[in-house]
Amino acid sequence: MRRLVDIVLLFKEYLVLIVYVVISILLLALSDSPQVRTIRSLTLGTMGFVEDAFGFIPNYFELKSENRILREQNLTLSEELIRHREAKLENIRLHQLLALKEDAPFTYLSANVVGKTMSLLQNTITIDAGEHDGLKPNMPIVTDAGLVGRVTTTSSGYAVGQILWNKDFRASAKVERGRVDGIVLWEGGDYLSLKNVAKTLDVQVGDVVITSEYSNLFPPGIKIGVVSKTSQTPGALFQTVEITPSVDLVRLEQVFVIVHTPDSARDTLEHKPAR
Amino acid sequence: MTRRIFFYSLLSLLFIIIDSTLVKFLAVGNIVPDILIVWIVYVAIREGQIAGTTAGFLIGLSMNLMGTTNGIVGIAALAKTFAGFTAGYFFNENKMYSMLGGYQFIVIVGVASMVHNIIYFIIFLQGSGLSWMESVLYYGVPTTVYTAAVALLPMFAFARKYVS
Repeated sequence: MRRLVDIVLLFKEYLVLIVYVVISILLLALSDSPQVRTIRSLTLGTMGFVEDAFGFIPNYFELKSENRILREQNLTLSEELIRHREAKLENIRLHQLLALKEDAPFTYLSANVVGKTMSLLQNTITIDAGEHDGLKPNMPIVTDAGLVGRVTTTSSGYAVGQILWNKDFRASAKVERGRVDGIVLWEGGDYLSLKNVAKTLDVQVGDVVITSEYSNLFPPGIKIGVVSKTSQTPGALFQTVEITPSVDLVRLEQVFVIVHTPDSARDTLEHKPAR
Repeated sequence: MTRRIFFYSLLSLLFIIIDSTLVKFLAVGNIVPDILIVWIVYVAIREGQIAGTTAGFLIGLSMNLMGTTNGIVGIAALAKTFAGFTAGYFFNENKMYSMLGGYQFIVIVGVASMVHNIIYFIIFLQGSGLSWMESVLYYGVPTTVYTAAVALLPMFAFARKYVS
C-alpha cells in the first residue's frame, strides 16, 4: 500500500494531468458540434485502419474460441445438409410415386418399408400400413418402377409383404411385345425366371414382362421386369427366360399397396371341380 | 493556503471576464491574444506544475461552461490543461522571480501558448477545410506570437517588482 502511495506521489503531476485530460475528452465526446463529429469519424477511420493493419496478428484466445464455434457450426450444418439431402431424395421418390398414383386407375395406399429380409429364400418386407389403413392379404405391392410383391400377413398397423425374390412367389406374366404368357418365379440369384415359355415362342432380350390378365391376384399391365437372357436346352420343351426385376428391391424405401382384391366369383369358378 | 486559492480563483474569474469581453477589441484580423494563458503560466511558475495544470483545467472548464467556445464543451479545458502542465515544467522555486521578470517568461508563455493553440485550433477548425498544418500556421502561430507579445507587459511589471 505504501509502495502504491509512493508511486502515486512520484507521478502525481502526470496523474493529475491524466484525470483532467480524461474529463476534458469525456466532455468533448458528449458534445455534438460539427468539429467533434468530424473528429469522431476520423477516430473511427483511424481505428479501422489500425485494426485492419494489425488484423493479421492472430489472437490466440479468440482463435481458439472461434475454432470451437466454427466446429460446432460445421457439425450442425453437416447434420442439416444430411437431413436436406435425405429430404430431397425422399421428395424425388415421393414425386415419382405420386406420378404413378395420379396415372393409375387403382386406389393406392402409400407405406414406408420399415423392415426387410433379404438373405433368405422367403424374403419379405414389412411396411407401416396395416388393417387400419384397409390392407388385406394378397393385395399387390408396387412402386413407380413396377411390381414388388404382395401382402401376405397384416396386423392393425403393419403388414408383411412377399417380394419377387421369394421362392413361394408366383405371378402370371406376359411378354409385352410378343404377348407370350408364362409364370414368373424366383429360383435364387438377382433375376427372376419366366416359366412355361415354349421354345417356339418369340422372346427376346430387352422385352418387357408385365402382369397378365390371367392373374387373379395382380391387375394386368404392371411391369415386372425386362428379359435379360434367353436360352434353349436341347431336348427340353420350354426355353429358359431370365428377367431382371424393374424394381430395385435392395433399395426399397417407399411402396404403394394397390387396393385390389381377387375377384371371389372368378376364383370360385376357376377352382370349381370339373364335372 | 485557502486565502491563496481564493485569491487565484478571484483573479481567474476576473481574467475570464476580461478575456470574454474586452480582449476582442485587441483583435488583429481574426487573431486575438490569450491573456488566460499568460495567467496560467504565471500560476504554474509561482505554484508549480499541479497548480498550473489545475488552473488550466478549471479556467478552461469555466470558459466552456460560460459558452465562450462555440458549443465545443471540453476543448478549452483540454488545451489549457496541457498549457498549464507544460508551463509547470519550468517551475523552479529558486528562480521563480527571475523567470517572471525575465525573457524566460516570454519563452514559457510562447511554449505553453503554442501547445495550447495546436490542440485548440486542430480541434476547433475540424471540418473547416483547413488541414492540421494550415490550422497551426494560420491561427496557432499568430495567436502564439500575439499572446507572447502581450506577455511582455506583465513581464516588465514583474521585472520592476521582483528583479530590480
